Amino acid sequence: MIQEKRITLKNLGKINPESIDDYINVGGYKAFEKTVGRHHIEIIDEMVKSSLRGRGGAGFSAGLKEKFTSEACLRCEQKYLICNADEGEPGTFKDRIIMENDPHLMLEGMLIAAYAIGASKAYIYIRGEYYKSIDRINKAISAAKEKGIIGKNVFGSAFSVDVEVKLGAGSYLCGEELTLLESLEGKRGYPRIKPPYPAEYGLYGKPTLINNVETLATIPTIIEKGSDWYTSLGTENSPGTKIFTISGDVNKPGYYETEMGITLRELIYELAGGIKDGKAFYAAILGGAAGTFVNESVLDTPMGFDTLKEKGAVLGSGAIMVMSEGRSLFDMTNSILEFFKHESCGKCVPCRIGMPQLLHIMENLKNNKIGRIEALDLLLYESEFMAKSSLCPLGQSPILPIKSLKQYFENEF
Amino acid sequence: MSKLVNISIDGKKIQAPEGANLLQVAHNNGIKIPSLCYHKKLTPTGACRLCVTKIKGTNGLVMSCTVSIKEGMEITAFDQEIEETRKHILDYLLAEHNDHYDGTYYDEFREWVAHYGLDKPENRKYPNISKALNYKIDDSSPVLTYDASKCIKCFRCIKGCDEVQGKNVLSFSERGITSYIIAGFDQWNESECDGCGECVQLCPTGALVEKPHRDEVKLDKLDKKVITTCPYCGVGCQLELSVQDGKIVRSDGVEGVLPNDGRLCVKGRFGYDYVHSKERLTTPLIKKNGEFVEASWDEALDLIATKFSEIKEKYGNDALAGYSSAKCTNEDNYLFQKFIRVVFGTNNIDYCTRLCHASTVTAMLKSIGDGAGSNSIEDFATTDCLFVTGNNIIETHPVTATYVKNGKYAGKKLIVCDPKWTPLVKYADIWLQPRLGTDVALLNGMIRVIIKEDLIDPDFIEKRVDRGMEAFEELKQLVEKYTLEKTEEITSVPKEKIIEAARMYATARTAMIATGMGMSQQVTGTNNVFSLINMMMITGQIGKERAGIDPPRGQNNVQGATDVGCSPLIYPGYIPITNEENRKRVAKLWNIDFETLSGKPGLTTVEIMHAAYDKKVKGMYIMGENPMVTDPDLNHTEKALKKLDFLVVQDIFHTETTPFADVILPAASFAEKEGTFVNSDRRVIRVRKAVESPGKARDDWRIIVDIAEKMGYSIGNYNTESEIFDEIAQAAPIMAGISYDKIEHQGIQWPCPDKNHPGTSTLFLEKFNTPNGKGILNPVEHVPQTEQPSKEFPFILNTGRILYHYHTSTMSRRNKALTDFANESYVLMNPGDVVKFGFTNDEKVKLTSKQGELVTSLQASDQVAEGELFMPWHYSEAPVNRLTRSDLDPFSKIAAFKLTACKVEKI
Amino acid sequence: MERSEILKQFEPANENMLNILHALQNNNSQNYLSEEDIKIAANYLNTTYSHIYGVVTYYTMFSLKPRGKYIIRVCNSPVCNMENSTKVIEEIKRFLSIEVGETTDDKRFTLELSECLGRCGKAPGMMINEDVIGNLDNVDFKSIFENYN
Repeated sequence: MIQEKRITLKNLGKINPESIDDYINVGGYKAFEKTVGRHHIEIIDEMVKSSLRGRGGAGFSAGLKEKFTSEACLRCEQKYLICNADEGEPGTFKDRIIMENDPHLMLEGMLIAAYAIGASKAYIYIRGEYYKSIDRINKAISAAKEKGIIGKNVFGSAFSVDVEVKLGAGSYLCGEELTLLESLEGKRGYPRIKPPYPAEYGLYGKPTLINNVETLATIPTIIEKGSDWYTSLGTENSPGTKIFTISGDVNKPGYYETEMGITLRELIYELAGGIKDGKAFYAAILGGAAGTFVNESVLDTPMGFDTLKEKGAVLGSGAIMVMSEGRSLFDMTNSILEFFKHESCGKCVPCRIGMPQLLHIMENLKNNKIGRIEALDLLLYESEFMAKSSLCPLGQSPILPIKSLKQYFENEF
Repeated sequence: MSKLVNISIDGKKIQAPEGANLLQVAHNNGIKIPSLCYHKKLTPTGACRLCVTKIKGTNGLVMSCTVSIKEGMEITAFDQEIEETRKHILDYLLAEHNDHYDGTYYDEFREWVAHYGLDKPENRKYPNISKALNYKIDDSSPVLTYDASKCIKCFRCIKGCDEVQGKNVLSFSERGITSYIIAGFDQWNESECDGCGECVQLCPTGALVEKPHRDEVKLDKLDKKVITTCPYCGVGCQLELSVQDGKIVRSDGVEGVLPNDGRLCVKGRFGYDYVHSKERLTTPLIKKNGEFVEASWDEALDLIATKFSEIKEKYGNDALAGYSSAKCTNEDNYLFQKFIRVVFGTNNIDYCTRLCHASTVTAMLKSIGDGAGSNSIEDFATTDCLFVTGNNIIETHPVTATYVKNGKYAGKKLIVCDPKWTPLVKYADIWLQPRLGTDVALLNGMIRVIIKEDLIDPDFIEKRVDRGMEAFEELKQLVEKYTLEKTEEITSVPKEKIIEAARMYATARTAMIATGMGMSQQVTGTNNVFSLINMMMITGQIGKERAGIDPPRGQNNVQGATDVGCSPLIYPGYIPITNEENRKRVAKLWNIDFETLSGKPGLTTVEIMHAAYDKKVKGMYIMGENPMVTDPDLNHTEKALKKLDFLVVQDIFHTETTPFADVILPAASFAEKEGTFVNSDRRVIRVRKAVESPGKARDDWRIIVDIAEKMGYSIGNYNTESEIFDEIAQAAPIMAGISYDKIEHQGIQWPCPDKNHPGTSTLFLEKFNTPNGKGILNPVEHVPQTEQPSKEFPFILNTGRILYHYHTSTMSRRNKALTDFANESYVLMNPGDVVKFGFTNDEKVKLTSKQGELVTSLQASDQVAEGELFMPWHYSEAPVNRLTRSDLDPFSKIAAFKLTACKVEKI
Repeated sequence: MERSEILKQFEPANENMLNILHALQNNNSQNYLSEEDIKIAANYLNTTYSHIYGVVTYYTMFSLKPRGKYIIRVCNSPVCNMENSTKVIEEIKRFLSIEVGETTDDKRFTLELSECLGRCGKAPGMMINEDVIGNLDNVDFKSIFENYN
């Protein structure tokens, strides 16, 4: 029987999330204390060696990101660390689970990262609807400040840091890191032109490191146990563990943290209790709305950034939306496209006008004005155009589900 | 300069500075990559995606507007995939677009649509959803209309408002396909929009269009477009006037040309209607039995010649005087002063400069040798620290202010010193709010901080200041008593702010001072500016690029009129009349006997009026001035004008002054003449004729030449304005190298001593224009104002301008667009005083000073401090200068417009 | 609370824009941002009210229209949608006699749709103000709404 391997969820259920003492009693903030006694380059090296890949979905090396931000300028008066807690990818709720159940772990990860890059100011950008997360994080910050873990000269070192919570207010796009910066600067959530990357030109134009909650919550354990230990977990290209959030037609929907390399079959049938009502597996959408449809041929593929890529699929945020036989791919696709249209900021032409066009094709299909094959080809044509000409990842998203539909369900759509 | 790198676009080899914008580089090299959201004045947006290219070594398509070029880049700008992508994008845009076109605006989008063959509906692939989107039209602004169905959401309007004009009054509403542009709470006329129209100029479609003349303009019916200079303030913005059926129907800013690079304010863009007003003077008028009757030019000029000659003969040359005009061209003014000096034979010539910056100029001439601004307008954006004092620059010099705001956004420091809140305060790092009339004390306090903290520039003092450290020691001793406590007590500015401002100014790598009427129009006006200069000198904040002192000039040609000699003391080019050599030189140029030139300094503006009152001046020739609004103590002015034996007023409208005239002459407006103005940064710029003058109205200079002839003098035979300017260039060494052909495209800043000289953007880099080339410190003491509030007159009244009107508003109030924004006189009173004295907002009140009274409406506003009032002076129905004093600054003879004790009563 | 008291809790810095707007909206008895709220925020943050209006209309959690005491946000994202959120929405509409975006006559409830609320494990889900309620496919709405007065 496959088991969970918990790193970011290691304290879940074992401590009172509102008690910093509980957290300290299980060894919390030891990694941070150790960190401030070391040279920041050592910390970055450790992170680079761990090969931890960003858990927000893009999978870029967290260590390299720290390195770039750290090296962005030698005498910057200000650098920032931002924790991206604007979780909004449909089917994804891993960050919420961490924030609600072990806020200090994430906070500790932030403090270590802030030290590594030399940021004296850190922000946590949490989506506005996550009231409980906001509350827990705020309490955790206050408690850490009282203990002197956040503040001036922490643990007697030369390092000083401040952490503040900033709220989102209802925009999926603001989870995109450059758009998040705009939002944090009090503006409408429009994506910035890339490059420059945040490591070079981030919040208020200063070097900025932006990491996802899950990424940050992994850091203390890596520092505590070392990068060798971490890379011994998971697969070669995707080391460590990952939280998968499984929803839809399974008996035990929820969150499961396992080593990378677990198969979809193991996740669905062993951890999530199999398909509801004894039905057969039909499809899964991996990675959220900006994710990919897969059929049963992928059930035994090890979950990892590269292994899934080979199958034309993505790991993304770790969301797995399961559909049993009898579910409508059309309805699911329509819902995903409606979501994108609703969240399109409108800045660039391909995304602003492409989204309604995709839905227009769906409507024509629904009204039998065009056939399935034709519709899928049209969707592919428009979404490919959007993918290559849009400004930000949102406009580049519809291609993912649509292309995978073509790959796995061409005859069933 | 960044180094040049080599790139290639579609095989064409191009050299351009490293880091330059790829799209701009392509455009500069004639490669027309399509684009809509990009504009060279704005940061790249990356919204329209039309400028796609491919770059060797980079995956996928790259938007050229977002690329900074590097050595060796190989770019493909046109291939089948790229062109198909562009067409796809345009086809998408057409889906949300209402493509009805009425021919009244230039439509970049439409051009690209046609280029890709999408003007034919059968070539379009996507169903049009613009109707279903229910886009609205916001027609509420007095000057523009926004039609969301024609908007391609390119952000150019928003960015123009933010990045160019620094106003931030536009935004999008909603998001995605339903988003559209809004101002304020989605209601333009109730927004913070001040109507500058930058958004209209930058809009690439018909989404934002001018409202005035909407129904008349047809681009294909335009007679011509004429580039000229704005007739309002002293920024000298370059305008392009569109003329249709002999009428101006539109005004746009000229892009890529200094000083404004396309920027305009609401007056420049929408204030041209007065040119075609039915109230223009169209025929000479002679007063007969108290009534003006139409006359022929001959009749009027004969009468004038006879009367002036009589007075000259009977009472002597000095019984005649003239007011020249800051509105007229250099050519008009040059001939006017030549007329006064040669034909009248007196130096009694002055104009309204005496009422604005005379004290500034006096102080600057004495200490640094030049009265003009030392820097360029665009330097306001790049200097590290700007000290703006007594200068409501956003309203009085709106386009200069855009540069100030650009600097602010780029992180430069801004100190505002003003007793009254001005819109610039919103942008300021520090706002010093001294009591009215305490500027010398404040500046002495700041100087003391600078000295105490050793923030002076000893090297500069040694090398560039007359008597070096010795002079500095005198200043140091004098300011010693202006301790922080004492300065705070006098000025009410908190100590900390005095220190902070002093440090900010003194420690900046470069700092500039913009000084306005708030400093100059006081009886201590000259001393105020001396203090500023003292602070500037000891910190070395002059004599280098982006450092110095700049008085933004109020009127379009107030700088030029003095430059060409409309002054009782100097000939063209600031050459003193009292020097015999100078007189000889001028007499030679003018081809007259030098002994006929008077070496006796003439009377200044206010002195001329006093002399008229005393019956010493008997005859006056006023060209384009309106002393019955501009002069202080108007009751006195009225009596003086009535005492004149003979008064000629030459203008484009009846004014408050014309009723006192014996003859009124109709003149051409700025749009009807050729010539030049000189703006605030000494730039000699062209004025060009766009339309014909109405009726019998004529060019000012031609009228002057004719009167001279009728009086038996020839002041020159000129066929064109260009010939007059060539004579100015001979008379004024500072303009010696300038001629019309050299300023055809862009003006040149004097001094320009010879034909090969490019002009001078910064003065005093090497030396000052004083006799020994050194700057002079003039330590001055704070003197309590003679005018103090009393039991009877408990308030101190301050006066000034507002954005929508200009000077005596004879021009600005004849534009519906401007009067729609503002058309009523008011007085501002602190809300605390409103309650304390039992007034209510908006009620009619009577203001009374020792000099006179007027009625206006009261507005509660915390823009003014308690005990102080503010009133705009544009409105002749409530002429503020009925209240003001004609007490003069002893050095510059400027009047104390800014400070009058008053009482306010209910009526 | 007076608006000025609320503003005092925040530095007048851009990064506090959304926090300030949340705080002002929460403080408004009608759960929305009035023109007055926006003008005061603009003044405090030294920006224009046009700018803040633009910000407010971008984010779905802010409203320019008065709303009820309780805001019902029904998740209509792909997972909840698959689990029949459409039916949930219809039932709530019927039960409260309002359409999406409307407020009940007694000003208690405003019905809104929301994107993924991160409750996909208990789909379909919704929030009523700060409370999360999941597994809505077979619930008695009467008993839920009774708790909100």
